[in-house]
Amino acid sequence: MRTAVLLGFRLRQEVLEWSGAWWFLLTLVVQAVVAPLIGLFVWSAVYPDNSAIGRYYVAVILVTLMTESFEQHTFSERIYDGTLSHELLRPQPVVLGVIGSNLAIRAWLTFLGAPIVVLTGVALRTGFEWRSLVASVPYIVLAAVLVFLWTFMLSLTAFWTNRVHAVVGFGSQLIFLFGGTAAPIGFLPDTWRRVAEVLPFYGMNGLPAEIAAGTRDGGSLLYQVVWVVVLAAAVWALWRAGVRRYTAVGS
Amino acid sequence: MTVVDVDELSMSYKAPVRKGGLRAALGSLVRREYREVLALDQVSFSIAPGEVAGFIGPNGAGKTTTMKILSGILHPTSGHVRVLDSVPWQRRSTYLKRIAFVRGSQPVGGSQELTVMDSLEYQRLLYDVPRETFRRTLADLEALLDLGPLLERQLRALSLGERMRVGLAMALIYRPEVLFLDEPTIGLDVSAGGQIRAFVAEYVEQTGATVLLTSHYMADVASLCPRLILIDHGQVQYDGPLAELSARLSPYKLIRISAEGSADPSAFGDVVEAADGQWVLRVPRDEVARTTSQLLQAFEVVDLAVEEPPLEKVIDQAYREGLR
Repeated sequence: MRTAVLLGFRLRQEVLEWSGAWWFLLTLVVQAVVAPLIGLFVWSAVYPDNSAIGRYYVAVILVTLMTESFEQHTFSERIYDGTLSHELLRPQPVVLGVIGSNLAIRAWLTFLGAPIVVLTGVALRTGFEWRSLVASVPYIVLAAVLVFLWTFMLSLTAFWTNRVHAVVGFGSQLIFLFGGTAAPIGFLPDTWRRVAEVLPFYGMNGLPAEIAAGTRDGGSLLYQVVWVVVLAAAVWALWRAGVRRYTAVGS
Repeated sequence: MTVVDVDELSMSYKAPVRKGGLRAALGSLVRREYREVLALDQVSFSIAPGEVAGFIGPNGAGKTTTMKILSGILHPTSGHVRVLDSVPWQRRSTYLKRIAFVRGSQPVGGSQELTVMDSLEYQRLLYDVPRETFRRTLADLEALLDLGPLLERQLRALSLGERMRVGLAMALIYRPEVLFLDEPTIGLDVSAGGQIRAFVAEYVEQTGATVLLTSHYMADVASLCPRLILIDHGQVQYDGPLAELSARLSPYKLIRISAEGSADPSAFGDVVEAADGQWVLRVPRDEVARTTSQLLQAFEVVDLAVEEPPLEKVIDQAYREGLR
């Protein structure tokens, strides 16, 4: 209960904090939608008669906006400037603040990016079925958790290196390539497709988008849950090791 | 009974080193070399409940490292530490709710876009402060720190002095029993520094809190700390009353004298200063009474005062020459 109250207050704080940087959030929205739009233009040109492609990429834009994570900025910088010490001395788990920032930014990106999603959908005359949209909700929630865990895990490398932005940038490229943004994974060569279906990135983007677009009836929630468990364990181990290092050396 | 108990505390860490030049840089890719830096070496001291101790030393002496260990940010290489019967670096909630660590270099953490009142409200939730207690403490802090005009301001827009006042308010809103103050007046002007000192003294008197304070400003130490712990090269060099340190380092006192006419008291001691008819003589401590009496007999004295040597000079001497 106390954790929920603290998280709620932190979320409110972060929403307020980011409200002062709406112009910066707009640049983030643009960055988030550019890659799916390029994918949309390319694959629509390749398959002009396939209406599912437009629907799929509109869903990818929405999923991307709802799941974006920036822990390399919100968390890693605290390691670099030493303000993580403030967080360590607060009687609450540090991750609560990280989650608060994450949810606040996602809420703002979804709010500011919604017009782009609607405009793209209207321009392409894409129609979504309510049944598919409702069915995609648990997949989107798990995708949001997966992207957060993946980005947070890579951001934790800031305990060891000053080049965290390169590390997280590399991780984002993997999501772009294997997650279904560069191409719907059904369009990939067989071997690549099989690899992509096993890696966690498809569950971060392509799978929920396919369910929302109605191009796939059902997927395996278990596949996403397994990766949530694996990444959560990795985050926990890295956090423990990182804090041990931070508290041995200081800032 | 002690609140802070430090026993043979040592802290060392490895710092990467390499020679200059491309060859050494390439070599370090294959084989990195480290040098062991000893930040603290067998430091021991204890602090009783309600005591205010000054923790001083030159830059790099180990003051902030010790403070970080005591608050729970760092864990030491060896030694034992108990603060309020807890091991600090375990950072248990029950412990963190009873201490505060305020750094003059970073007085306020958290979201800088928030107002001071929002930040205080968050502290209330975080530290489980009952609403009535919160209202009462806030009223006290408003009066003591002149917080009223700041409550609706955003943290990022505060001046350095205001940030320090707000940092103290955020740390004290939950009434911690132990206060670690690291350079609380750094960068502040004379008035703002004085205000912070007065506030800390008042808080200690009201609550009986235990305080460990580091500062390079001797005014902080002289006005707040009856006890001084001097640390240098990671070792405690002195632990005792301030006056005793002064007497130990400087076997002299200063006699400040103004006399009628063209008086020249240089025969009564070493002249440290002479200007506008006022003389300052350096006299061995055990000769102060006799010299004073002789001066009063020899001249028509307008004013005479016996002073300890300036604390800055005493401490500077301790830093440069050591105490041994």
